[in-house]
Amino acid sequence: MSARDVAEKVLGGLKERFDSVVVKVVDRNAAMLKIWNSQPGVLQMWRDVSVHLLLGKQRRVTVLEFEVGSPEEALDAVRRIEDYITKVEESELYAEPPEPKEPAPLEGGYDRRIVDHLSDPRPLAEAMVSSALSSGAERVAGTLELEEVEVAVTTSRGFDKAYRKTGVTAHLRSLRGELSSHWAWGSTQLDVRAVEEVGSRSAGLLELAKTKVGFTPGRYDVILSPLVVGNLMNYVASMASGMAILLGMSFLLKKRVGDLVASESFTLVDAPRDVLLPGLAPFDDEGVETYNKPVISAGRLASLLHNTATARMFKTSSTGNAGWTNPRPWNLVVEPGGSTFEDMVSEVRRGYAIMNNWYTRLQNYVEGQFSTVARDLVLAIRDGSIEGYVDRVRIADRFETLLKSIRAMGKEVYDVTWWEVRIPTRAPYILAESVNLTKPIA
Amino acid sequence: MVDEELLVGAVDLAVSQGATYAEARFQEDLSDFVLMRNGRVLALSTSVVRGIGIRVLVSGALGFAATDRLDRESVSAVVREAVSRARAIAPLMKRPVEFDESGVGRASYEVVPKVSFESFGVEERVELGKEAYKAVGGALRETKLATFVFGMRTHTQRKLVISSDGAYVRSVVPRISVWANFVEHLPERGTIQRYVDFGASGGVERLKEWRVVDELVQEAQNLEKVLVSGVEAPREEVEVVVGSEIVGLVVHESAGHPMEADRILGREAAQAGESYVKPEMIGRFRVGNEHATVIEDPTIPGSSGFYLYDDEGVPARVRHLYREGLLYEPLHNRHTAKLFGTASNGAARAMDYSREPIPRMSNTYLKPGDMSFEELLEGIKLGVYMRSYMEWNIDDIRWNQRYVGLESYLIVDGELSRPVRNPVLELTTKDFYSRIVGVGKQLRFYPGTCGKGEPSQGVPVWYGGPDVRLSKIRLGVAV
Repeated sequence: MSARDVAEKVLGGLKERFDSVVVKVVDRNAAMLKIWNSQPGVLQMWRDVSVHLLLGKQRRVTVLEFEVGSPEEALDAVRRIEDYITKVEESELYAEPPEPKEPAPLEGGYDRRIVDHLSDPRPLAEAMVSSALSSGAERVAGTLELEEVEVAVTTSRGFDKAYRKTGVTAHLRSLRGELSSHWAWGSTQLDVRAVEEVGSRSAGLLELAKTKVGFTPGRYDVILSPLVVGNLMNYVASMASGMAILLGMSFLLKKRVGDLVASESFTLVDAPRDVLLPGLAPFDDEGVETYNKPVISAGRLASLLHNTATARMFKTSSTGNAGWTNPRPWNLVVEPGGSTFEDMVSEVRRGYAIMNNWYTRLQNYVEGQFSTVARDLVLAIRDGSIEGYVDRVRIADRFETLLKSIRAMGKEVYDVTWWEVRIPTRAPYILAESVNLTKPIA
Repeated sequence: MVDEELLVGAVDLAVSQGATYAEARFQEDLSDFVLMRNGRVLALSTSVVRGIGIRVLVSGALGFAATDRLDRESVSAVVREAVSRARAIAPLMKRPVEFDESGVGRASYEVVPKVSFESFGVEERVELGKEAYKAVGGALRETKLATFVFGMRTHTQRKLVISSDGAYVRSVVPRISVWANFVEHLPERGTIQRYVDFGASGGVERLKEWRVVDELVQEAQNLEKVLVSGVEAPREEVEVVVGSEIVGLVVHESAGHPMEADRILGREAAQAGESYVKPEMIGRFRVGNEHATVIEDPTIPGSSGFYLYDDEGVPARVRHLYREGLLYEPLHNRHTAKLFGTASNGAARAMDYSREPIPRMSNTYLKPGDMSFEELLEGIKLGVYMRSYMEWNIDDIRWNQRYVGLESYLIVDGELSRPVRNPVLELTTKDFYSRIVGVGKQLRFYPGTCGKGEPSQGVPVWYGGPDVRLSKIRLGVAV
């Protein structure tokens, strides 16, 4: 039974019992090879069908998620909530499902070669690992993930569509002595050369490190790699969600569309219609046609992200970003500039290039106060040249301060998806000035 | 729960296909959730995640496959696939995966709520959220409650683990949690934000123990003082009393995680990271002083991390991660135990049916001492007490860590004085465990969801400890 068949069957079983019904079904066939110490750790595989429901009755809202194997079981499970849905007050989030419109087709997000490799990811993993080992890594760790997904959405207003897509995600950490470096790539299209490049690029970066040098906390010019940009922009874009604003989980809460929130050289786009990035979607979870839109355009807040319900609360229209409770970005694209990495290094008198990060946490979302820890290479730059490396410094600043301090954008962009960049992101290197860096002082 | 013959059949089939080890785990996670904002319902939600995860060892390669289709044909197809794909990667194994010879259990256990989830229906849950919003908003005198978000979740986890080594473990563990995220605003001083949560295994009886509304009101009032009159932390070296909430997080991050054997060996290198601990340091390296004893115990009744057998069927037991400052015993599953030449200590956990079991924490805490809070403060001419936090992080080898205090106070002449705003405790693991000069006697636990693995797995844990006093700390200030 296809995802669309399941969605139609579930809708048929519910539309007489509720005032509004939205059904989303995700049928997934996926495999992931986890590598550590340069050998396979585990090969994991999944076959599952998840059924997601947005049900409205007397202006009350409930959201349900099932991984139970069959539409009949999902329908059975719904009976339990029918008893209580009308016992609570009307929801602020209630909205009629939108009037169905034909979304423009989105071709090019499905690659049969990925499906073919699902049963045997070994050659791809071998290519990635051997490329890193031959480029200077002593040992490597990472993952190679392949998936084929079918997504169907049906609504009680008559929307009934499905789309298929594929995805490949490869990321690898190369280790040599106390040094390590990491690279990542994600796409809807299989590209063996790109997989190999994840290995060679990750190991190749090790060559940039010379000797270890000292570090004193302070404000410095900082080059952020595409992996770091991806991680931080995942946070920034998620904070553009209407729900993040409503929940007090965003520094954009105090801003209005048109306000300057970043350097004028900075543009961040939510790009569901970029068919190379794995988060693509022709329509959202309510059946609303998606479109690419700047979240920040030339430094100014350009758009929040809405579903029908948050749009109603903000007196605007859906941006095609449902997420039923929480609107979310699909893919992110940071627009490139005109610099190379080498140009940026040559511009820095006293600063650092942070090549990867993790563990971004906020003290206060409304103020945007955050810190994040560098992992892998941090290159020390003095007078326009790489002088050596330091380890595990921390960026501790405010998102708005950081965004406004951007001085240069790289001209080459990289498609990045990995453990710390969950929303697929296309990003260049970025140079920011006067960024607060810290580290424990012995 | 599930027809156990389905699992027995899966294990038998895997073995007949050439697996030297096979394990089938049925898991069902049923959750109900209420989300409210400013005293009004945003959404009710329910999730049911149910399926079978199958792990096989074939020619020294590990395969894992999961499906939510619980008919014999679908499960058999997944088993065959797991075996054949594991066999296909076996030639790449430089060192074959092997499991230790740990004894596995045959048991059935269930945590029975004193007050069932059903007896506290959605209306009562919503009423609790309204009461909390009203009470917190009404308790503030100088600041405005800008946002108050309330969530409540009940969760029942059912498992059956059957393996070719003889494990048969059936369990039912219900869990309940309540959380709130609120923002207070004072135009001339900005905002202050707090996320606070309560969580345990058991039933609705926990709500009474937690006194949710009273606790939230107290939190909000204390933070109002910090926002209104908080000063910067002193710049000079001072004594710092770290509250149990932060101590719990510190031991989770800098004792629990670095003592996970899979990290030590490098299995998480590309995800949650490695560890400053190397295998040869166990039993030899001293990370702290005599006060640094960190204990891991999955068997604490009522805890979020409660279990009696792990997801490989190995009996759970208490583990001492650090003992009087010495690295003592890592957390193992059967694979890492074999590599360390020891026996599993029952730390294998999986988030749900679709995830492989890997070494995880359960309930981690610093061993309490014998000092009262007043005794910890005694003799401090100038210091800082950090009671709670919002921002924290630690590097990928679990050495360089940072905690930004939220509710914090100056200590002057042995007594709490003015509130302090955003003091930063940024130090190394060795610094923390070596600078403990006083340990409180009151052990408190806090709930959390611990993340690790790929795909990422979040499992419920408790972390805790007493208040501790650290000497000679130079605090920072958040920008």
